[in-house]
Amino acid sequence: MIQVRHLPRRFARLVALDDVSFEIARGEVTGFLGPNGAGKTTTLRILAGYLPASSGFASVAGYDVLRQSMEVRRRIGYLPESVPLYGEHRVGEMLDFQGRLHGMSRVERRRRVGEVLDLVGLADRARQLVGTLSRGLRQRVGLGVALLPDPEVLILDEPTSGLDPLQRIEVREIVRRLADRHTVLLSSHILPEVEAVCPRVIIIHRGRIAADGTPDELLADLDRDAHVRLEARLGGDAPEALRRLSDLSGVREVHDRGARGAFHRIDVRADEDLREEIGVLAVRHGWALRELSWRRATLEDVFARIALELEQEQVGS
Amino acid sequence: MRGALTIYRRELVGMFFGPLAWSLLCVALGLSGWLFLAVVKQSGGDVTASLRYTLGASTALLFLPPLLTMRMISEEDRSGMLEFLLTAPVSDASVVTGKFLAALTFMTLFWSSKLVYAVVIAAVGVAPDWAPLLGGFLGAVLVSGLFCALGLLASAAFSTPMLAAFMAFVANIVVLFLPVFAGLSESEKVTELAASLSVSAHFELFLRGVIDSSAIVFFLVWTAVALFAAVRLVEARRWR
Repeated sequence: MIQVRHLPRRFARLVALDDVSFEIARGEVTGFLGPNGAGKTTTLRILAGYLPASSGFASVAGYDVLRQSMEVRRRIGYLPESVPLYGEHRVGEMLDFQGRLHGMSRVERRRRVGEVLDLVGLADRARQLVGTLSRGLRQRVGLGVALLPDPEVLILDEPTSGLDPLQRIEVREIVRRLADRHTVLLSSHILPEVEAVCPRVIIIHRGRIAADGTPDELLADLDRDAHVRLEARLGGDAPEALRRLSDLSGVREVHDRGARGAFHRIDVRADEDLREEIGVLAVRHGWALRELSWRRATLEDVFARIALELEQEQVGS
Repeated sequence: MRGALTIYRRELVGMFFGPLAWSLLCVALGLSGWLFLAVVKQSGGDVTASLRYTLGASTALLFLPPLLTMRMISEEDRSGMLEFLLTAPVSDASVVTGKFLAALTFMTLFWSSKLVYAVVIAAVGVAPDWAPLLGGFLGAVLVSGLFCALGLLASAAFSTPMLAAFMAFVANIVVLFLPVFAGLSESEKVTELAASLSVSAHFELFLRGVIDSSAIVFFLVWTAVALFAAVRLVEARRWR
């Protein structure tokens, strides 16, 4: 449904996209994940036909986004991050305008506007001015506008940014309901956000695809960096305590992050969660525990690692 | 075409839902009515001459189109609306055309007030000379069209509405007073060229009641050129 091959995009001096290739099948819901400035918005804009790529090839629903832009635009619903809406219009009018842009007949528009208002939960707000809506409601109107022509492909740029947790859940619910009828590509910089909705995640970093897989696969990747965090008063002999920790079975690395007063902060990397074993050790040797926790790497850690790998690769080549 | 009509409709609604259009219309109508009365008094009751004078008064021409068009592209680019419109299944040309037609409709509405004066005066007693009035009306609409197109061009070229309005205003002055500026030059060719490009000279024909097809073509062509350039600038935004 969506095909992207070797997509570079350069702005005057900045390389926004280096070399991005991926394919998304019909009906797939894919999350596009990456830190700010990674090239997510640029890629989505190219797919939506707003920006041309510097070279390479991208197609949506079988149409080239550059040469057959109109065909593509008729088939996608695109919600930019800024959620562009005319504030002086009522919600219903804004949706109707989108219907007109897509050349829908009056009867068709009336039916579809009703359906979409129900779908995004705004049936009671049809006559409210867009300019007076809260951020969360605006976002839903934006979703409604993107959905109005019943597009084959939905492209949503950061659909949950700037929303409070409740509103995020609402938007997530709507997107999940859309999944069985549309091919969805949405971007985010928050991993759990994407994990909750998307069976497939593409991680992009510095204009390159860094990882592509199901959330489970990516999490398995993340778990390589998981560790037990220990903060305790180790008594007189810290090196001895560190040695004991390294002697536990399965421990790959013991990293002493230094002393804070009488307390040491130590990261223990192992193949599994060793909190119980470390707890037993602490009791046996009389360490006063302040913290004993299982820490998974955050997305930032993964990005840092991916970035490092990419840089080493570039230095190597 | 359908796309342009959709945009046109939206622009008109947007224009008259906001305070800008009403304030402009109110102040401009008040001023031009006052001007009309002043001229009627001075000319000793010559209604036709007074109406011609208000139609030809260039102040409204210089100010209104830049103010109407300044936000149409530059502000929509800032708010992200342009991204929405340019990813909708309508061409860049229909976006620009729709906006242009909306601004022109406003200007036509404004100028038609002079025809209302004429009709009322005719009903009360003194029949004005209709030929220069209708010609002047058509001319004013055509000149407004050119200035609206220049305004859109400025709005596409500059990133803030204020700057766009100012530059459009400057462009209008240059275009309107081209022969005066050309008068600085000694060369006869320059003055001739300026005369053939003169907006005011062509407009003057209409005000005399002469409807010359070459003058109509003159305005239509330059309006089209400005609109074409505006469309190209909108397209160029994608490449930035």
